[in-house]
Amino acid sequence: MPKLKKILLIEPDKLLGDILLCAFKEAGFDLTYATNAQDGVSLADEIMPDLVILELQLISHSGIEFMYEFRSYPDWENTPLIIYSSVPPAEFNLSQDCMLEKLNVSKYLYKPSTSITELIRASRELLNSANIKQSKKSHAGA
Amino acid sequence: MNNNVLLPLGPKLSQQLLLSVAEQIKLPLIQISRQAELGSMGLSSDFSQIRTIAENGLKLLDSYSLGLQLANMHSYELAPEAVSVSSVLYEADQQLRALARLYNVNIKLNISGRYEPVMAHRQGLQSAIIGLASALIEALPSQTKDEQTTLQLATHRCRYGIVAGVYANVPNLSNDTLKRGRKLYGVSRQPLVNVSHTSAAGIFVADAIFRAMNLKLHVSRHHRLYGLGVVLQPSTQLAMV
Repeated sequence: MPKLKKILLIEPDKLLGDILLCAFKEAGFDLTYATNAQDGVSLADEIMPDLVILELQLISHSGIEFMYEFRSYPDWENTPLIIYSSVPPAEFNLSQDCMLEKLNVSKYLYKPSTSITELIRASRELLNSANIKQSKKSHAGA
Repeated sequence: MNNNVLLPLGPKLSQQLLLSVAEQIKLPLIQISRQAELGSMGLSSDFSQIRTIAENGLKLLDSYSLGLQLANMHSYELAPEAVSVSSVLYEADQQLRALARLYNVNIKLNISGRYEPVMAHRQGLQSAIIGLASALIEALPSQTKDEQTTLQLATHRCRYGIVAGVYANVPNLSNDTLKRGRKLYGVSRQPLVNVSHTSAAGIFVADAIFRAMNLKLHVSRHHRLYGLGVVLQPSTQLAMV
């Protein structure tokens, strides 16, 4: 049986976290969630996620702070990361370059208008393309 | 209809409050939408949860309207009555139970002291307490590693009168945080960034209700817990009787 892909969700609202947990499990992913940035970093260290889904509005440390911390570790430099937030993406128009290049954000999905199905589809696509990149790298290495 | 309904709060403040409520109301709507989507995916959708979430959103809208109405009243129209704080907290506890259960928060009612009634607008006081408590309930699971957290609805005496408040293990809650939040709500998405991941509209609506009642929301401590409370004056009328 193939190993389930590990997803780390950082979602401050417990109810939404529970709903996404249920939907992603059903879709065949191994999702774990944290409700704040600090727990998110500890969990990432524990489970070594294949993908991170992140809300930007968190208590104390924001999602942006989490990303700076997360990307500072070589192991997680290229881990696909989806922002799934209630903050409209238009608010980041001026800092888009920083988001895409420095923080290596794979996708920005606006929470109110993105359904669970769309989020699962986006996650699957990113995991597949990460897989392809990985296998190309290992072929080149061989 | 009175066209000036928003004026007593000040046009800027009422606009800020509206923005804060609009931002807050997104959360229950997203929760309901996602629950419904779970159902359409063939997974079990929890209808009682949907009902609780919707009712909580409606309560916030009701409190918001009440806050604006009270702000529009002259002091002689407010008609404060002798209110038992314990009964207000008991009623709030009953109304908050379902929401607290969803967030795994245990509500404890601390009304053991026998205090005289206070002069207040009963509905306003109750709506404000429910607003404060709801805002903390939503934020608590994100602040602690404990499986279950406790929120206390309490009344106690202080040197200025009788306090009615909501308390939890929220050490980040300070007078400075609240002061900053008052300046930022409606402008920032997270005016109380160390306390809540939302716009915490429940807290600012409660603040507006208290202000309309000539009361002031304070950060206070009780039994080693941090919280938000209001000091109420005992009813001297009844003391004479």
